[in-house]
Amino acid sequence: MLKIDNLHARIGDTEILKGLSLELGAGEVHAIMGPNGSGKSTLASILAGREDYEVTQGSISFDGVDLLELDATERAVAGIFLAFQYPVEIPGVSNINFLRTALNSIREQRAEEPLSGKDFLAKVKACAQLVELDGKLRDRSVNEGFSGGEKKRNEVFQMAMLEPKLAVLDETDSGLDIDALRIVAHGVNSMRGADRSFLVITHYQRLLDHIVPDFVHVLAGGRIVHSGGKELALELEEKGYDWIVDAEAAEQA
Amino acid sequence: MNEVATPTQHAALAARVSEACAAAGLVGEPQAEALEALEALDYPTTRQERWKYTRAARLLKVTPTASAPLQAPPVVVESLDALRFTFVAGQHISGETLDEGAEGCFVGPVSVALERYPERLKAWSNSAFATQEWFAALQASAPQDGVCILVPAGHKLQRPVLAHHHMPDGAHVAQPRHLVHIGDHASAEAVLWSDNTSHAEGMMNAAITASVGNGASLSLEIIQDEPGTVHHMGHHHFTQGSNSNLTVRTATACAHWLRNDLHILQDGTHADSTFHGCYLPNGDQFVDHHTRIDHAHPDGQSNELYKGLAADKSTAVFNGKIMVHKDAQRIEAYQSNRNLLLGEQAAMYAKPELEIYADDVRCSHGCTTGQFDKEALFYLRSRGMTETAANNLLVQAFLAEVLDGFRPEIRDHVHSVFARRLGWI
Ligand SMILES: Nc1ncnc2c1ncn2[C@@H]1O[C@H](COP(=O)(O)OP(=O)(O)OP(=O)(O)O)[C@@H](O)[C@H]1O
Ligand SMILES: [Mg+2]
Repeated sequence: MLKIDNLHARIGDTEILKGLSLELGAGEVHAIMGPNGSGKSTLASILAGREDYEVTQGSISFDGVDLLELDATERAVAGIFLAFQYPVEIPGVSNINFLRTALNSIREQRAEEPLSGKDFLAKVKACAQLVELDGKLRDRSVNEGFSGGEKKRNEVFQMAMLEPKLAVLDETDSGLDIDALRIVAHGVNSMRGADRSFLVITHYQRLLDHIVPDFVHVLAGGRIVHSGGKELALELEEKGYDWIVDAEAAEQA
Repeated sequence: MNEVATPTQHAALAARVSEACAAAGLVGEPQAEALEALEALDYPTTRQERWKYTRAARLLKVTPTASAPLQAPPVVVESLDALRFTFVAGQHISGETLDEGAEGCFVGPVSVALERYPERLKAWSNSAFATQEWFAALQASAPQDGVCILVPAGHKLQRPVLAHHHMPDGAHVAQPRHLVHIGDHASAEAVLWSDNTSHAEGMMNAAITASVGNGASLSLEIIQDEPGTVHHMGHHHFTQGSNSNLTVRTATACAHWLRNDLHILQDGTHADSTFHGCYLPNGDQFVDHHTRIDHAHPDGQSNELYKGLAADKSTAVFNGKIMVHKDAQRIEAYQSNRNLLLGEQAAMYAKPELEIYADDVRCSHGCTTGQFDKEALFYLRSRGMTETAANNLLVQAFLAEVLDGFRPEIRDHVHSVFARRLGWI
């Protein structure tokens, strides 16, 4: 469903992604791990359509569509969702109003009827329950004054509301306490299905105990340098990244 | 950069305006001081600090040509139950006068009030700006009809007043004067609405003079929704007694070229003033809000909040002066002005001016001018909103603090004007 081929991207003069290739099948969960600054969030942002990055080479196809031809809105309409590493605060816009506008905007672009007020609220209730989101947070301004953990929970809440085909979770586990981690993982797991794929970016094997991935990839220096099964996460936890990065360097040389 | 108006040019403008207003019909006698001031005062130029960013020279070209057809304009905010009065180019054309007699409330055209109750108007109907500003002097030297609201001591006006001033197609000048007097412990609410057709030109030079008695309260919403190319000058002056409450909300929904001068004088202790405003020029529009509050007595409060966006190549100006007089102790005065620029060629000139001569005072002010939040825009778009929907939501959120203070039907109208003008609906 997602095929990234030899992706090169830069911002200004800095080249960040240097030939990244990755393929995700429908219903699969892939984890991406890698050192700080290796380009994980860059990849996530590019998938979501952030315009600051310039793709200089390579391609991304999503369900057979050239993703790079779509803008951020169109990608969301096509079914891509990014849970931000740093969710944005939007003072003055209530969470509920925000979601209603987003949901109906997507439906309109898909030529679907807007959701009735009743159906919308029922859905909000179900999704909020899924991640045990405090009722008060629904009515507050989007992410404003939310704790780090509340923001992450809100991202998963939005994902549940928008039911994407591909969800990219950028360090959704960071800042979560142990209980919240379990709750958020439960939310994600209950959304797993044959036509929904996940790209889970994380630094910690811990999360992958709860959201068990089909594949684990190591992103370093702007490329996927190693891929394996779920046991790779354990190995990385134990040994760090150096052995892979060194081996890769040796191979390149 | 600086324009110089030769005396003949602005004297000629004054003659054209006075003649056109007189031909259409004046209200009451021209103020004698105003006539003198018109001679004595300088025409505003960008060399004067108060007019630094405001090129009044362009008004020298205003030439009224047509006499206005006195046809009723479309009704505004139909759902609002109010005492309604309609004026077209400075002439009263409809509205049923509320007249409870010499001791009671009066709401009607100034022309009618002057006939029936000249003595009730005498004490306070002069425009305080008329001796200070050339355009205010011009207004007071050839005043036209506006709404008059007289609420005697202890009375509460039961229904809000809606005075609607309309400028039709063609080059017109209008110099309406609105008079509001709220007696001690009395209260009233009013909406002053000015709008134009999209082929209206010329000048709207309006004055509001209001006094709010001891323990009285006045809430005023000013809506300026003026497509076309009319130049609008507003001279709005309020005097408050002790323990009085004043709220003035101004929404400049649309204006080609507009300057509002708002002056509040707290002429008693424990007075409370709230004045909020919002504006959103686009294209090459110009909007200028100059405000001044005088805390002349102790224990007063004021709360000022102006927010605006300047889009495209437009210019917005905000100047807020807070004057705390020598013996006005224990004043709490808050001012905030927040602006967003939506275009690389848009300009915003914001300046707070604080003059504080008392020592026990709590004053705060903040002026910010920023860009539209790109991160927020991306966040919203990544959730599937079109750029239009996202922009609209962000503007709505930005202005909510100001717009939510208006009546809901007015708030929705103003927001829809903004959204439509920016192509966001
Ligand atoms: N706007 C930008 N301007 C300049 N450099 C940038 C910008 N955005 C990202 N970079 C650089 O690109 C590199 C990759 O950043 P990215 O955020 O993708 O890393 P990451 O793998 O997500 O790291 P972390 O694990 O710390 O979240 C970093 O060196 C970063 O400094
Ligand atoms: Mg990152």
